[in-house]
Amino acid sequence: MEKRNWHDRNYKKLLLIPIILILSSIIYLFMFNVQNGDFVYKDISLTGGTSITVFEKTNIEQLELNLSNQLPDLTIREIYELTTKEQKAFTVETTADSDVAKQAIQEYLGIELIEGDNVNIISTGSSFSEGFYKQLLIAILIAFIFMALVIFILFKTAIPSLAVIISAFADIIMTLVTFNLLGMKMSTAGIVAFIMLIGYSVDTDVLLTTRMIKRKEGTINQRIIGSMKTGMTMTLTSLFAFLAALFVVQSFSAALTQIFTVLVIGLGYDLLNTWVTNVSILKWYAEAKK
Amino acid sequence: MKIKLTFKIWLMIFFLAASLLAIFAGTGLTKSGILITNIEPENNSLFDLGLRQGDIIISIDDQKIETLKDYSSILSNKYIGQEVKTTVKTTNKEYIIFSDKFPELSVMEIPKTNLQLGLDLAGGSRAIIKAENKTLSKTELNDLVDITANRLNAFGLTDLKVIPVSDLAGNNFMLIEIAGATPKDLKKLISEQGKFEAKIGNETVFIGGQDEGIASVGRSGQEAYIESPKQSSDGSYYSTFRFSLYLKEEAARKHAEVTSKLEVNQTPQGNYLSKPLDLYLDGGFISSLKISEGLKGQVTTQISISGSGSGATKEEAVENAKAEMKQLQTVLMTGSLPYKLEIVKLDTISPSLGEEFTNTILLAGLVAILVVSLIIFIRYRNWKASLALVLVTVSEVIIILGIAALIRWNLDLPGIAGILATIGTGIDDLIILMDETSQKVLSLKQRLKRAFTIILGAYFTTFVSLLPLMWAGAGLLKGFAITTIIGISVGVFITRPAFGDMLKKFQKE
Repeated sequence: MEKRNWHDRNYKKLLLIPIILILSSIIYLFMFNVQNGDFVYKDISLTGGTSITVFEKTNIEQLELNLSNQLPDLTIREIYELTTKEQKAFTVETTADSDVAKQAIQEYLGIELIEGDNVNIISTGSSFSEGFYKQLLIAILIAFIFMALVIFILFKTAIPSLAVIISAFADIIMTLVTFNLLGMKMSTAGIVAFIMLIGYSVDTDVLLTTRMIKRKEGTINQRIIGSMKTGMTMTLTSLFAFLAALFVVQSFSAALTQIFTVLVIGLGYDLLNTWVTNVSILKWYAEAKK
Repeated sequence: MKIKLTFKIWLMIFFLAASLLAIFAGTGLTKSGILITNIEPENNSLFDLGLRQGDIIISIDDQKIETLKDYSSILSNKYIGQEVKTTVKTTNKEYIIFSDKFPELSVMEIPKTNLQLGLDLAGGSRAIIKAENKTLSKTELNDLVDITANRLNAFGLTDLKVIPVSDLAGNNFMLIEIAGATPKDLKKLISEQGKFEAKIGNETVFIGGQDEGIASVGRSGQEAYIESPKQSSDGSYYSTFRFSLYLKEEAARKHAEVTSKLEVNQTPQGNYLSKPLDLYLDGGFISSLKISEGLKGQVTTQISISGSGSGATKEEAVENAKAEMKQLQTVLMTGSLPYKLEIVKLDTISPSLGEEFTNTILLAGLVAILVVSLIIFIRYRNWKASLALVLVTVSEVIIILGIAALIRWNLDLPGIAGILATIGTGIDDLIILMDETSQKVLSLKQRLKRAFTIILGAYFTTFVSLLPLMWAGAGLLKGFAITTIIGISVGVFITRPAFGDMLKKFQKE
């Protein structure tokens, strides 16, 4: 019998880390839902409302002070040049109607705002947004179910397939909890990022599982280490690429910033869930089968 | 060193070349001049001579025009109130006009690529519309789309898309996308029902629409004009517009029948019938036209319609009168919409930050690829394979863009997110290929086969997870789903097999 190393002795205990995190995430999200009526804070792309981007310079704090009693749920963001930090524009988001919001900003700035010229206006009715949000949730759910089906077809064995699915699920809820803890508001783009995350998190799990259950060469540990080398390179490359991209787009596009932020958080958790959660379950499964 | 390339590598090179061609052929890289994006047909001498949207102006008065700056600097120095001669040369014709100002044209520099950018990058407006308090059937929706498209065309908008869309919950919407400048009062134009009624007393004489009582609507010259503005008692200005309206036989006869019953009133200004012709739009009163004595009981097909616009200044009054007239002409020509409409989403995006936005995205992509190549080089210490990986990744992006240019797919922000998703999974797959082929077991061919089993597995999971997005939320995220699906498919079937062959070559050396 080969010598048992640290991982051989402790991998089952290691599984406690993700189990505790998953359980506390579920409890947190449940409490969050009770308190806020939903699992996330939503921005106006999902609640309905108006986003007005004005291509003028102004003092953001002053503007916020002035508009906050006129426009409900106000958020103001500055758009600036990456290198010079020079202000290019600012975005006002509110649940108020577009005409009301435009009027208020116009009065404060004292200039006429002309749609499609010095101002972008995005306005969405609340019932449409609610429907949109519900459908995106359904889309995530269907995406997840489809993914699970493909995984089952791919590996044809229950426990390894379940391990992949549990890891992907853990990635999603842990990312969601972090997202909420950071006080971020979910937008359409954020939901897209979560769907992207399903794809990314499954990549390394598929690699690991294939090497573990479809291959015969080497010991289990050798196969784990081999997969880990490849998988870590995959995840870390994506992680750093997204971090770099995040740095470039930061102020310029709220949508891309949110996508990259979600992916960076998600890939971070994917390291844990692939190399602790998934590895431990698979190893247990392989040892038991011996 | 002689390099023999395999079929898979040639295939990738072929797609790459075809994509570059699709992106760049016949664009501003090879042509100079500026492109006419819109030409106002009314009172426009250049339009009358045959200049049209899509023509390319190459010179004015023999001065070459290559940029918008050239164009505006020539024109701004030229007109100083007097009538002068202007020679406008396009790629296929020369136009000579005499005027005191240059006719109204919208122009842009010829795009450098065939890529079509979506509204969120290039500017424009998008509206999602549904019927108020009513669920539309497919046929009703299609009728609505036809009438709306017709109305926007009649208004003079050409670069537009009006289509029916539905979502996962089975709701039907009408989606309108207008590229470029947002017309003033867009909200009014698309959501107004446009029910035009002409009444004498309580009797409707005719209603708007060429399917109804209207034969044609005068739109230029003596048939439609704005009178010079006058000042009202409160200091503001108003301007009156007038245009001719031609009625169909039936409507004209109805007019005769109703007027024949009226009496004649004598006034100092002349003799008029006892009741005027009242015009209403969507139940709101527009104006009242006095009917002269001579028309009593006459079957007349031509009517002069008038109304007014007001404003704080003379210019504003004229502008508003023009806008009011255009709106009215449009609804008279196209008729009313069958339902009351509700705009559920209206986005108007200015193109002003578009270029900077595109540059930022390109920069982000470049930085990301640099970071990736650095990590890959540090990890593998194999410059050939690392270089190949970067080349393959860049090719993948170019091929996605090539396909987008070819199928005239609008690249919007979700689409760009899709390209990013592709780059990410693409690099993951290339790393799998590198690691699987470097193992010391089995034959190289079998190792490649194993790598592709993993890659295909990951491909199918991503593919199916994107499918629901094709329909969710009136297709607003379709761009993301389509681009990602194109991207990962290009990767799995074209570029990654080529990369596998490249790795084979490197190993044999």
